[in-house]
Amino acid sequence: MKKTRQQNTANQTGKQNAKNRRDVWYKLDLSAIVYPTLQRRDFSSVYRLSVVLKEPVDPVLLQQALDMTLPRFPTYKVAIRKGLFWRYLEPNSRPGPYVGKDIKNPCMPMPFKGNNRYLIRVYYYGRRISLEAHHCLGDGTGGMCLLQTLTAVYLGLLGHPVRPEGFVLDIASSPDPEELEDAYMRYANAQVCPPRPADKTYRVRGTKEPFYTLNIIDGVMSVREVMAVAKGYGATVTEYLNAALLYALLQKQKQEFHIRLRPVRIAMPVNLRRFFPSKTLRNFITMVYPFIDPRLGDYTFEEIVEQTHNYMRYYINVKFLRGDITTNASTQRNPLIRIVPLFIKDFVVRTFYTRVQDKNSSAGLTNMGALHVPEDMKPHIERFDIYMGQPFSSRTNCAVISFEDTLTINFASSIAEADVERYFFRKLVQDGIHVKIESNRERN
Amino acid sequence: MSYCVNCGVELEASLRECPLCHTPVMNPRDLGRELPPSPYPTDKGQVEVVKRKDLGILVTVVLTATAVTCLLLNLLVFHRALWSLAVIGCCLCLFVFAFPAIFYSKMPVWLTLLADGASVAVCLFLLTFVTASDAWLLQLGLPIVAFLTVCAEVFPLLSKFFPLTMLSCALCVFIEIPAFCVALELRIRQFTQQPARIVWSAVVLTVCVIIDIALITILAKKRLRNEVRRRLHF
Repeated sequence: MKKTRQQNTANQTGKQNAKNRRDVWYKLDLSAIVYPTLQRRDFSSVYRLSVVLKEPVDPVLLQQALDMTLPRFPTYKVAIRKGLFWRYLEPNSRPGPYVGKDIKNPCMPMPFKGNNRYLIRVYYYGRRISLEAHHCLGDGTGGMCLLQTLTAVYLGLLGHPVRPEGFVLDIASSPDPEELEDAYMRYANAQVCPPRPADKTYRVRGTKEPFYTLNIIDGVMSVREVMAVAKGYGATVTEYLNAALLYALLQKQKQEFHIRLRPVRIAMPVNLRRFFPSKTLRNFITMVYPFIDPRLGDYTFEEIVEQTHNYMRYYINVKFLRGDITTNASTQRNPLIRIVPLFIKDFVVRTFYTRVQDKNSSAGLTNMGALHVPEDMKPHIERFDIYMGQPFSSRTNCAVISFEDTLTINFASSIAEADVERYFFRKLVQDGIHVKIESNRERN
Repeated sequence: MSYCVNCGVELEASLRECPLCHTPVMNPRDLGRELPPSPYPTDKGQVEVVKRKDLGILVTVVLTATAVTCLLLNLLVFHRALWSLAVIGCCLCLFVFAFPAIFYSKMPVWLTLLADGASVAVCLFLLTFVTASDAWLLQLGLPIVAFLTVCAEVFPLLSKFFPLTMLSCALCVFIEIPAFCVALELRIRQFTQQPARIVWSAVVLTVCVIIDIALITILAKKRLRNEVRRRLHF
């Protein structure tokens, strides 16, 4: 009798929880609206964050750590659904996600209905833990929070407790509502909407790799060395690396036959949390596009650095970024656009992205900057890696991250030739930086 | 520890060649040494195939049930004319239209369009059992379907050889529309035994020619092209 009453109470609690779960759902944030639209059989907007530990990873403990960590990140334990006008995220209580052995082709497409509808994947390989997340859930900062918290919980299970601090969140606490907010809407309040660049830019030519191939070349170097060289040019590390990538793209364009040269432009995400305070774990980035126009004449590397430096100083500030967010938000706020059915929005957004946005830049570069981890975690970590994932059209994406004195530059490309990477790393070597190269490219 | 002689970068110990310039690693001191394992995994992952089995089963069952029940209703109750063949034809068309989306998404576009055209032709053929004569099928129905299919096939064919932009697609559409209208009117006139000349299709032809000239001008002038792109960007 007592058992039956307990069962009834448990059933009622279960039903209540299920009802509560059904009541919870999340709108996609402003950036996240675009990513599911671009989903193809052979493309998903997936990025990867990895941490290399000092000891081999135990998959059983990692799975345990993942099961403990994920409920703390409600916007990552979700499935994506279609509404009549917009997509939305709803809590996912299906079993999983499961930790898997790492694969050669990272950031492979992530079908929304696969993987028990989870939009994250966790892999292990040797000493490396990798997290892949669909961009509609959040940006690199949100993903890094999840990865670092997962690593901290995993280390805790190994007997190395880590106190929550910085990117490591306390899994026993409940999520702060600000972590789940769409921070764009809070700051999209400029009075004008500045236009976006819409020029065609140089596209890297090369042999497109077959489906399921993502070529990776990692360059590992000393932060101090890079900072010293950048300082010599009067620039920051980001500006210097941007200039080096622009230089590499210019060299590549020069080497090819072109009737008419095109501007070389880099799409660089800027973390808006630096300018607009927010704890959000969802997307809160905007793009800036440093560029060089070779039709104006030949640029020396010093001139490229100067141009990049000036561009960054001019555009990356609260005023311009607020204007940019407002431009992006204006379409979503427009009542006429809001009532258009989702399939029409999908068609229009995909067409715009393919015809204009994708042709707007020659390559992508993101810099996560210097990562801070709790003191208890530092002795167990060797380095971090970040990959921007499979590009929408064949091109090269570059991601930079640093931890302690290790700076890692990760190139991910779906082009067989590594010309851009070669020009880039040779330039760094010419400047006196010691570069160590790792790659997943096939051996002969 | 090996360095690439061309690039000057240090190479990770498992690399046999520089991934940047493909120069082989030749370290005379390490010739007999076995290479350590790569820091990257070697197994390739496969994207989980999301089966649309449920939708496929539902569509097949509903269409088959509609066709069979209508046929039985026709044979057993309302048996004056073979009207169920028209329903069966429509079900067949719907099934063929849905096939690439639900069952086999890798089907080439040209083949999909060809199959669609063929299914419509079969549907029209089944309709002849309901009508008094089949002259309309040979003289009107099949030529129109064939012409529509050819018009549709032009797009996948062109996209194979030329990059299709929004403007070039528009140009193609506005060339095909008058061509189709003229052919349609001539066919109808021949079927109704009227003299072969164009009337209403001439209006369509005129309008489309004007649009075509405008589009060709825009396509030829880069400045105009950019202007259109700027004005029409959404």
